[in-house]
Amino acid sequence: MPAGFNARILRDKKARAGVNAHELVRRAYLYVARNQTLPPQVRYQAQLQLNTFGKYTRPTTVKNRCVETGRGRGIIGEFGLCRYQFRLKALNNELPGVKKASW
Amino acid sequence: MAAAIAPAPSRLAALTRLRCSIFQTSYNPTSVRTGAKYLRARLRGPSMLKYYPTELSVAKFNAFAQGEWTMIDADEIQREKDVEDKKKRGKGAPKKAKRKEDSRRLKRKK
Repeated sequence: MPAGFNARILRDKKARAGVNAHELVRRAYLYVARNQTLPPQVRYQAQLQLNTFGKYTRPTTVKNRCVETGRGRGIIGEFGLCRYQFRLKALNNELPGVKKASW
Repeated sequence: MAAAIAPAPSRLAALTRLRCSIFQTSYNPTSVRTGAKYLRARLRGPSMLKYYPTELSVAKFNAFAQGEWTMIDADEIQREKDVEDKKKRGKGAPKKAKRKEDSRRLKRKK
């Protein structure tokens, strides 16, 4: 399955784009909201502003998915592939430097 | 023995303050949360965008070429044909609700 047509990957891409677009402003609000030296009212207002951001602007909604199949579990981070795709590609010699262990 | 006597707390505080001024760190003896870590941390968005490889599709190419060049998108033509066929058989997408009461969502079983 091509990666671009997997709905979960599309959602993840959307989240990544959202995080990138709003990161700077969110950081500024986070700084104000978490700063104990500022007056509580200001901090509270900043926290309210933080709550107005959408779901797909939070970095925690981003998940590394398998680039090939979109699977969310069993991802080998270095290659961005799920364990089965990693095995298939490694056996097919598509991953440089990866070799099946045998001793 | 003079070395065994602990220095006064005020002297230790003065030492810490001096150390902070020398190494340009902020003097924060009560460990108040200043939110500095949110400003200090690197922005993670740009590297997050790089995770999936960019895909080249015919539609993207045509949009990039801006009419100077066009490639035939066989998949898109097939999809449009399939949609037409479905519409002919009365299997097309339902009409969009004009009012909220017309929404099919409301009629759905809970």
